[in-house]
Amino acid sequence: MRIWRYIAMFLFVGCLAGEASAQNTISNLPRKETLIVENPEGTIKNAGWFNIWAINAGGQSTGLHQLGMDTFWYIDPQKGVDGVWDNSLAADKPIYNADFTEMTVKLRKGIFWSDGVEFSAADVLYTIQTHMKTNGLRWSAPVQVNVAEVSAPDDSTVVFKLKKPNSRFHALFTVRWNAMWMMPKHVFEKAGDPLKFANDPPVTLGAYTLNSYDPNGKWFIWQKRPDWQRTTVARFGEPGPKYVAYVDPGPPDKRVIAQMNHELDIIHDVSPEGMFTLAKQSKTSHGWFKGFPYAHPDPTLPAVVLNAQNEMFKSRDVRWALALLIDIKAVSMASYRGAATISAIGVPPTGSAPDVYHAPLEAWLKDFEIDTGKRKVKPYDPTIGKQIADSLRPSLGEQIPSSADEIAKSFGRGWWKPNPQAAQELLERAGYSKKGDKWFMPDGKPFSIKLMVEGEGRPVMTRAGSMITQQWRQFGIDASTVVAQGSMVDRRAAGDFEAMITWSVETWGGHPDLSFFLDSWHSQFVAQPGKPQPPRNWQRWTNPELDKIIEQVRQTGFDDPKGLELGRDYVKLVVREMPTIPLMSYNVFTVMDDTYWTGYPNAATAPYTDPVPNWANTKYMMVKLKPKQ
Amino acid sequence: MISGYPLYLLGRLGQFALVVFIGINIAFIVTHATPIDPVEQSIAAATQFGSTSPEAIALMRQSLKELYGLEGGLAEQYASFWRRVAVGDFGPSLSAFPTPVSVLIGRALPWTVSLLVVSTLLTWALGNLLGGLAGYYAKNRTLRLAGLLAMAFHPIPYYIVAFLLLIVFGYLWPVLPISGGYKMNMARDWSWEFIGSLLIHGILPVCSLALVGLGGWFMGMRSLVSNIVTEDYVTYAELGGVKRGRILGSYVMRNALVPQITGLAMSLGAIFNGAIITEQVFGYPGVGTLLVSAVHVGDYSLVLGITTVSIVAVSLAVLLIDLLYPLLDPRVKAR
Repeated sequence: MRIWRYIAMFLFVGCLAGEASAQNTISNLPRKETLIVENPEGTIKNAGWFNIWAINAGGQSTGLHQLGMDTFWYIDPQKGVDGVWDNSLAADKPIYNADFTEMTVKLRKGIFWSDGVEFSAADVLYTIQTHMKTNGLRWSAPVQVNVAEVSAPDDSTVVFKLKKPNSRFHALFTVRWNAMWMMPKHVFEKAGDPLKFANDPPVTLGAYTLNSYDPNGKWFIWQKRPDWQRTTVARFGEPGPKYVAYVDPGPPDKRVIAQMNHELDIIHDVSPEGMFTLAKQSKTSHGWFKGFPYAHPDPTLPAVVLNAQNEMFKSRDVRWALALLIDIKAVSMASYRGAATISAIGVPPTGSAPDVYHAPLEAWLKDFEIDTGKRKVKPYDPTIGKQIADSLRPSLGEQIPSSADEIAKSFGRGWWKPNPQAAQELLERAGYSKKGDKWFMPDGKPFSIKLMVEGEGRPVMTRAGSMITQQWRQFGIDASTVVAQGSMVDRRAAGDFEAMITWSVETWGGHPDLSFFLDSWHSQFVAQPGKPQPPRNWQRWTNPELDKIIEQVRQTGFDDPKGLELGRDYVKLVVREMPTIPLMSYNVFTVMDDTYWTGYPNAATAPYTDPVPNWANTKYMMVKLKPKQ
Repeated sequence: MISGYPLYLLGRLGQFALVVFIGINIAFIVTHATPIDPVEQSIAAATQFGSTSPEAIALMRQSLKELYGLEGGLAEQYASFWRRVAVGDFGPSLSAFPTPVSVLIGRALPWTVSLLVVSTLLTWALGNLLGGLAGYYAKNRTLRLAGLLAMAFHPIPYYIVAFLLLIVFGYLWPVLPISGGYKMNMARDWSWEFIGSLLIHGILPVCSLALVGLGGWFMGMRSLVSNIVTEDYVTYAELGGVKRGRILGSYVMRNALVPQITGLAMSLGAIFNGAIITEQVFGYPGVGTLLVSAVHVGDYSLVLGITTVSIVAVSLAVLLIDLLYPLLDPRVKAR
């Protein structure tokens, strides 16, 4: 028996040693000085590639664009550290001439690359000229389409002469997730072909440099620059974490386990169920909202996108009928388990939009009428957000806000009240008919809709699609979901779908200008059936009134209040026409753990930025984070 | 006139070449029939979050087609593919352009091979040993219990066993790392610390594969041995007073091992496919993750590279076992 005792003792000691070892996943770095963040890109195939200007050659949100890159301006998806707009490498806002054919940029002085070389207009010139003469770089095409000439009258001024008027040219250099980053001239000019240069290790403009990385792409560790004062974020203070590790933590269940073990400080996104588990079981974990629905509403608007080139969706009556058959409360429960922020209008309910669009248009929406041919109905129900909150309160108690303002921020305002009778009247006016319990199109064929969903890659949206088809089926429409999986991108671009759950509306978030997506909705960009459609008008919908709005926006300055009026005109138009059926914002369950760090952004007391850590804007989070212990 | 073993050898070599040629051709057709276009995937990745004007997209599409060499027809691409395969070059990966496919496979393969060789050999040896013993000592209670456990784990879907291990040893009793191949920030210098980290990170993936795989080998071997022990020569040996250990080792297990060796060779050959679920669940680096990611983005250069390596490896394993068979089993040579 003695041998068994030895074996048992050996296993016990081994397990204790293992336990101690398993609690520390980083070697040779002080955990208390290290922030561990999920990189949603997962495992990077080509880990040793840090040339972000080459398309898809390596990772982007490995910390590379959050901590290493910089460009002229940032727009925050939320309130911003010091306002929504930040002049980063630029000393001031873009200066346009009267007809928007020239843009001048004044550069900030005293900013240095991580190898000690000062950043100057020469770097900007090099970046632009390299993109002008090299095809296939990430920003070659937009530079070649727009820039006629670039010059630097002095070391801190750059002048762009444009090929044609463009009042939003600065958007190319304004971070909303990412933007065109500046290249270190002194590195790249010695590197040969910029398409074949790995840029390992990268010389950075951000406050961090690369410390180490896994050649198999599982993790990347960045270290605070000793001269962080010579970077653009230094205006807001010293970045808190000395080290930041971006890791691939694996599937959602493992992310939850890793955070419960305090080995993952920021989860980028997790399933609603994972979020609820963490909220219940981990005292140190929290989301953007203190309680339910926890998630950060991204400035992205998932919707039922109806392919306008398909005959069955050409009638506005049909599109409206389909909207009136959707019970958004059930969709919210099916998709986000109630943790959705709904929006009836074509703007995501996040950032500045609720104040600029949702609240001011509430009265208009309440009065809005549709004519079914037999009667007029007011489809908007302003209480739906409250109804969702009320339905969740019995099970979640105090986590559910009670004030109208908080409910509107968390769950959204109103939506379209299900109205099958009005839907029937609209369909009948469009020439559709019901025989037995089935609907038929004007040509006599069954009214059949295939709703494309992405599948397991985006389960929340897939569940929303399944619920919507179920509701349409109950009404007598032969609706079914089609799971596109990896082919979704190709089929969406090719218009190879009837209807799909996706988003064709994305905004800046903090800034109310809608050109980020709206310009691409102009009819000049709509492709012929079968030809690839450029982002983002996936519905391929055209409307002369919309074209006029877009053309007016193009002639209006970015900050001109007239732009807001035009934005509201767009909202009213798409409510009337319903080219897509907006559902909700894309809620991201970013979960932050307070064990080692405090100062994360949150909706109530610190809405200084979007917490979703794959956004380049998270560089501002670093200066707010402080060690807990 | 060639006859005997040389003729057998030539025949098998011919079969090998044919199988490889057909397999690679099928892989080429399947990968090129995918509805996923790497150019559209690259455009989506480059434009889905940031600001890119629609006018620029058409220009970007054209540039990428030129860059990725996708402008020629299918016949041209087919000829170019075989030219490259002949010299062991699969061209650049389209989703990690311009890094060569061979470099990406080369980085991932050692992880997959070491993980799966260890788990396959361990499972094979343990499963066959226990199965052989259980078949021969059919009334032994401990072996019957082992058989029961092996059979209980065998039908459980692999991912459930993997997640169970993850929850037990990663959360409830967190004694083992749940992700990666080694600790972050550790120099890969083959120091004792690094080797220790490699081993401890491999425990859960290896155990999960072994737990599920053990039952198959166990049951196969037990069944084979159960049949062999009823053969006359075994009865004769027992009656002749030959020691039971020798009967088991030299008369029973040795004969029963022949089909198991074929199975082992097939399993070892299939190693080059990677262990996709294992790699995903345990965040273990390897070819499986590489393959899945390549399929998702339509990187057919990389998919073709991995499948070609896999086809050659499996075919080579079968060839080797075919060539070794006559040496192990004289009946094969006689035919």
